[in-house]
Order: sequence, then structure tokens, then C-alpha cells
Amino acid sequence: MTPPMNRPSDLEIMELADGESDDPDLVSQIEGDPESRAKARLIQQMGELVRGHLELSADAVHDAKFAAMWRRIDGQLVSPVSGLWSRISAWFDRYRSHIITGAVSAGAVAALALVLRPGVADPGQPGSTSTIMVRPVALRANPEIDALDTPGASSTVINLDDDDGHAAVIWVTPDDSNAEEL
Amino acid sequence: MTERSSPRPNRSAARPAIAGLVVACAAVLASARAARADVTATCDFFEILAKQGDKPALDGDLKVLEKKLKKPPFASSWNQFHLLSRSQKTLAKKKAEPIALKNGSATATLVEIVDTSKVRLTVTMADDKGKQVNNTTTIEAADYVIYVQPLAGNEGHLLSVSCR
Repeated sequence: MTPPMNRPSDLEIMELADGESDDPDLVSQIEGDPESRAKARLIQQMGELVRGHLELSADAVHDAKFAAMWRRIDGQLVSPVSGLWSRISAWFDRYRSHIITGAVSAGAVAALALVLRPGVADPGQPGSTSTIMVRPVALRANPEIDALDTPGASSTVINLDDDDGHAAVIWVTPDDSNAEEL
Repeated sequence: MTERSSPRPNRSAARPAIAGLVVACAAVLASARAARADVTATCDFFEILAKQGDKPALDGDLKVLEKKLKKPPFASSWNQFHLLSRSQKTLAKKKAEPIALKNGSATATLVEIVDTSKVRLTVTMADDKGKQVNNTTTIEAADYVIYVQPLAGNEGHLLSVSCR
């Protein structure tokens, strides 16, 4: 039995089944010929089987490769840290940016504490490192003599007040001053 | 594709913050400690020779004491005041600091700072003959203690101390 003149060749059927050809005349010829139609369907099924097999093989290869990659990453991330110092340094390495941020913040806080601590420098004394607060004259207390010892002499304490503040005058008079003058 | 969970252990996010806080507290404590250790007072010492003369005289460096020196008991004894020596010392707490004088010797010790505005100061002063004055006074910053030792010939030896 000879094939009809308009029957497509096997090559044409394969091209159509693989999507390499979309000739409408060829499609109509295959649709009109049951044998060609059966060949096309078989070729499509065969192609799907081959593609499925290849995808499964590709998946298997990827899994193996990724498993090896993760093993390498695991080895790097959780490297054996046996000693305490290794753990501490690993922890510092991991949180380096946080620690730097904390240290910078601490420096700023310390600088503020130093600047704002009581007893800032007296504005009247440039460069002064005084730790004492100079109060307005009106708020100042009189000087207090806590102890005074003048062996061989007598002493008198006189308080002076003026616009500039208080002054305690300790006047020491030797007991033998009259004898010296004589 | 196989799903993977993160290999990194699930650490608390608060740890870095706590570490930063600890470092900050340590820095503040260190600065506070440094501030405590740094208790000082800057004191000015004026050694003055007082005389009685024809005309009143006051050295330019003694202008800060002019109002006081023109009042009794100074004004009733002398009318001329000459600066013999002047020094400024930063006194550390409980550390005796020698004060160089032209006449005799002296030391000053910062006992403590009281109420942030006063100094408790111990001054010892000895003249050429060894006569001593041992005194502890609490004064406000920028106020004065003036020690007076009469000398032969109706002269006076004064030491003015003021701290801030």
C-alpha cells in the first residue's frame, strides 16, 4: 500500500510535535490522516517522557550539589570553637557592628558626663580646671574657722565683707612681741 | 529544591543591646570615678609686705584685694602694700603643697570640697623665726583667708589665700 500524496513525512510530524513547525497546511494534513495523527501523539508522549526523566535527573544533581554547598557553609559558620576565648571572640566577631555602635554611644555618654558634671570651669578663669562652683557673693556663707593653732602667739579672727565677698583675717600676734620691740 | 533552615543559632536579639548598655555603663562609671579622683582646687597665694608710709601705695597686682586692704584692721595699721610673691597652685585632695614665700615658708592642703562651692583648706605658715600658724578654714570659692604676722618696725607680713 502506497501512502497518499498529501500524507506528511515522519520528519514533518516530528517537527510539528516538537513545536519546531507551526505550518497550518501541515497541521490540517496530520489532522486529516489518522496514521499521521497517531504518530504525532506518540511522538509527543515520547518527548514528555524524555523531558520528565531529564528534569528528575537535574533535580537529583542539584540536591547533591546544594547539600555539599550547605555542608561547606555549615562548616564555616559553626566552626569548632572549643575554648571559652574562641567562643568570646566568635561572639564579638558576629556582633562587631553592635559593639562598635555601643562603644560610640558610650563614648558620647561619657563625654556628656564629663562636660555636664558639677563644678564646671569658672567663666572668669579661661582654661581653669576648677571643680568648685563659685556662687554669687550674696549667697556665700561666712568663712568658718575649723581649727587654729598658733604656738607661742595669740590670734584674732576678723571677718570682712564687701562687694567682692568675704574674707577671714587671722591676725597673729607673738606673745613675746613687746619684748622683741624692746 | 530542598528547603533549608538557617544554620545560625537563634540568638536573642537583646544580647547586643545589653552588651552596648554594659559598655556604656562601664564608661560612665569610669568617667565618674575619674571625676572623683580629680578633686582639685586652684588657689591663688599673695604674699604681701605691709608698711606705714607718707603716701598710700598699693601694687597693681593687689587690686583684687584693694577693698579689703583699705578697711580696718589693715587701714588702721598700714597704708602701703607691696606684693612680695604670687603663686597659683592646683591643690589635690589631702596632698600638702609647698608655697614659695619670700619670708618664711608655707604649705597648703585641700582637705575637701564642701557642698560643691566651698573648700576646706589647711594652711601652715612659719616665719623666719619659726613662729607657726596652723589653720583649717572652710571658705566659699573666690572668698579669702588672709594671715597677718606683724614684723619688727611696724611692718606686716600678709598671706592671702583664695581658691576656686
